[in-house]
Amino acid sequence: MSALEELTEIATNLESQALKAWKAEGKKVVGYLCSYIPEEILYAADILPYRVRASGCTDTGTADVYFSSLNCSFSRSCLQFLLDGHYDFLDGVAFTNSCDHTRRIIDIVREAEPTKFPFLHLISCPRKITEESIGMFKKGITAFKKEIEDCFNVEITDEKLEDAIEVYNESRRLLKKLYELRKSDNPPLTGRENLNVILASSVIPKDQFNTLLKQLLAELNERKGISNYKARFLITGSGGCDSPDYYDLIEDLGGLVVTDTLCIGSRTFWHPVEIEDDLLGSIARAYLKRPSCPLMVDGVVERSRFIKEMCESFNVDGVIYHTMRYCDLWGGSVFDIRKNLKNSDIPILELEREYMFGGAGQLRTRVQAFLERIGG
Amino acid sequence: MKNQNLMLKMISDEYDSIEDLLGSRKDPGAPDEGPTVINLMAEYFRNLYQRAEEGGHIAWVNFGMPPEIFWAFDIIPLVIDSVGGTLAANQDNIVKYVDSAHEHIPDYICANNKVILGVAFAGEIPPPSIMVHPSAPCDSNLSTYPVISEYMNFPYFCVDMPYRVTEDMSEEGLEYMNGEMWKLVHMLEEITQTKLDVDKLKYVMECSNKSHELLLKIAKLREAVPCPYGSMDTLTEVGLAMCLFGTPQVVEYLEQQYEKTKEKVEKNEGYMTKEQEKFRLAWVYGAPVFDYSLYRYLEKKYGAVSVANMNYNLLMEPVDLSSPDQMLKGIARKITKLPMIRECGGTFERYLDPAVDMITRFKADAAIFGGHVACKANWAIAKMAKDKIYEKTGVHTLNLELDLFDQRITSSDDVKLMFDNFFEMYLLK
Repeated sequence: MSALEELTEIATNLESQALKAWKAEGKKVVGYLCSYIPEEILYAADILPYRVRASGCTDTGTADVYFSSLNCSFSRSCLQFLLDGHYDFLDGVAFTNSCDHTRRIIDIVREAEPTKFPFLHLISCPRKITEESIGMFKKGITAFKKEIEDCFNVEITDEKLEDAIEVYNESRRLLKKLYELRKSDNPPLTGRENLNVILASSVIPKDQFNTLLKQLLAELNERKGISNYKARFLITGSGGCDSPDYYDLIEDLGGLVVTDTLCIGSRTFWHPVEIEDDLLGSIARAYLKRPSCPLMVDGVVERSRFIKEMCESFNVDGVIYHTMRYCDLWGGSVFDIRKNLKNSDIPILELEREYMFGGAGQLRTRVQAFLERIGG
Repeated sequence: MKNQNLMLKMISDEYDSIEDLLGSRKDPGAPDEGPTVINLMAEYFRNLYQRAEEGGHIAWVNFGMPPEIFWAFDIIPLVIDSVGGTLAANQDNIVKYVDSAHEHIPDYICANNKVILGVAFAGEIPPPSIMVHPSAPCDSNLSTYPVISEYMNFPYFCVDMPYRVTEDMSEEGLEYMNGEMWKLVHMLEEITQTKLDVDKLKYVMECSNKSHELLLKIAKLREAVPCPYGSMDTLTEVGLAMCLFGTPQVVEYLEQQYEKTKEKVEKNEGYMTKEQEKFRLAWVYGAPVFDYSLYRYLEKKYGAVSVANMNYNLLMEPVDLSSPDQMLKGIARKITKLPMIRECGGTFERYLDPAVDMITRFKADAAIFGGHVACKANWAIAKMAKDKIYEKTGVHTLNLELDLFDQRITSSDDVKLMFDNFFEMYLLK
């Protein structure tokens, strides 16, 4: 099995072979929603951080009891999976107040299934990127660390934490290398394949992932690049952009996704955690200072700039701005990003969708029209 | 001079819609406080208009930002939610601005935000000297306010507050917010080119403390059966709290109001008589402002008085006036305890506990969850809230799905129908 095949298997199955092997050793798994959860802390406790998603969710009957029709379908689907048993292999779930939808999942799980997960924790994530907010975030993740230690009866020493940061930084370096390959005129992998790599990175132990990723990078050197595409795209927007079918839809029509500024993508690994004396402070700083989500109110200019820089360095022909319906954070932000992209003569296609991927025909028509508009 | 016209229009709308409604009261014993509130609000808007004409300092703030600090700098705080609330009295205005905003942002963003964006895009409101809001309660604010300040190029400040207030508002959390308040003060000093006048701040906070003390005393009186306040009285006084706290005019108004209310309660007089007051309603979330006659409908048809309203459930503590630092800390603490910030900007308990307490204190027969369609965070807990409220108080909740400002989502007739069904099913048995 090639590394790409193995990573795809991991990305595709909720309970991959790697996860089963981990659990078979009696080790713990903690799910997390939102990329502002510092995975390094879990890893240092020898706990597998597992990003909660709900790919393949086709029914949200249980979640609909709690969520209303005005809540986003990504959060609804995640809640469904948390309640209906899909995630019974988790020993806990960590949240942040990332958005108005996901921050309510912990409230609902606590009420609906108070004993299902031994560990439930919410880290307060600031809404600003300042020295003081970094201090507050550090306080939050310090409490998170302590609760993990207490709940799972482990000690997270500085040595373990430093090692975890190094393993994660290596992962970041390797992923950037992978993205570097996508800058070429003939990228060696599709957007869909890349997505599977990213998804796999969020559900298996990082050291195992790094081994596989090194193997993949070696394999890609031998792979023929893709040349039969009409246009190069960057994807940005809401969380929940984790469906390979969505990428297929774009790429089957001749588009090629060559980069992204997603939270399940480049934003999580673009900058390393710079180790300073204070390890938790270093983590807090790196997580808040990396390319931000619109939940950070002082990141408006930086977000547009990051998108523009990525467009330029990946030689992008157009931007696909993906939003989940009812996502206020990305919905409200589109105005500024649209304006800045227009000023830079970068075409943008705004696609609003539901997580379960209904209305594929409509999306296909719009992508096709966009390709025609930009001359692809 | 489009922007000037709009301000004038807002004032006249305020008069036309609310004053007409209050003037139409014919019930014997109906209190006469409404017009006083309207006069204060009209004066507030007139002052804003005058300030805009003079090119003086105006700050855009939202309902979660206490106005006192701005009064201390002689900056008039324009509570932008009051723009939506005022314009909603004339649905043509709402439609115009909301639809204008839809050209730039999705329809599911809060109408409150869409209105201010629509007005701003139309150039029909003066650009502020600064815009300030806290980081709670919702994403709609967080995504649109910084973007509009970037677009119109005016200074912007968000007072960041910890999310898990109960856990995080330790001394460290409070110090963090205090630091945010000091940063704001420095920005205001720069904008106005004046240092913070501590005596003036103290005076403003004295007025604010006095107002809160009176409000709590009035709230206690409002618990009486029959309720001395009519449905509209609680709704209109919310505007005062949002816009004018910290001013002596509000103290004067509330002193009068307290004496009048006390007298009524002592005489066992209510807005309606004890026999007429058949049901007491507690609005445990929003309350529609697109058609105030809804409240009249409930009073007339069912003898149902809206005795309590989450947005008027002001439960702050007095602010320590001993130093500027303590005063700013007090304002920071107040932010976390303001309605909406408290109920929508935190965990479920932060919603449930005050709701249950309010229903109990006001002896409500039913709870109304006026669920604004844009409030996704609270729609996510609406079902749990309904169940928990029933479990803890035995009171049924009507969940209304509507846009508080724009009746194109759910019309007045539809709201009335939902009430009719609710009364028939639960209250008229």
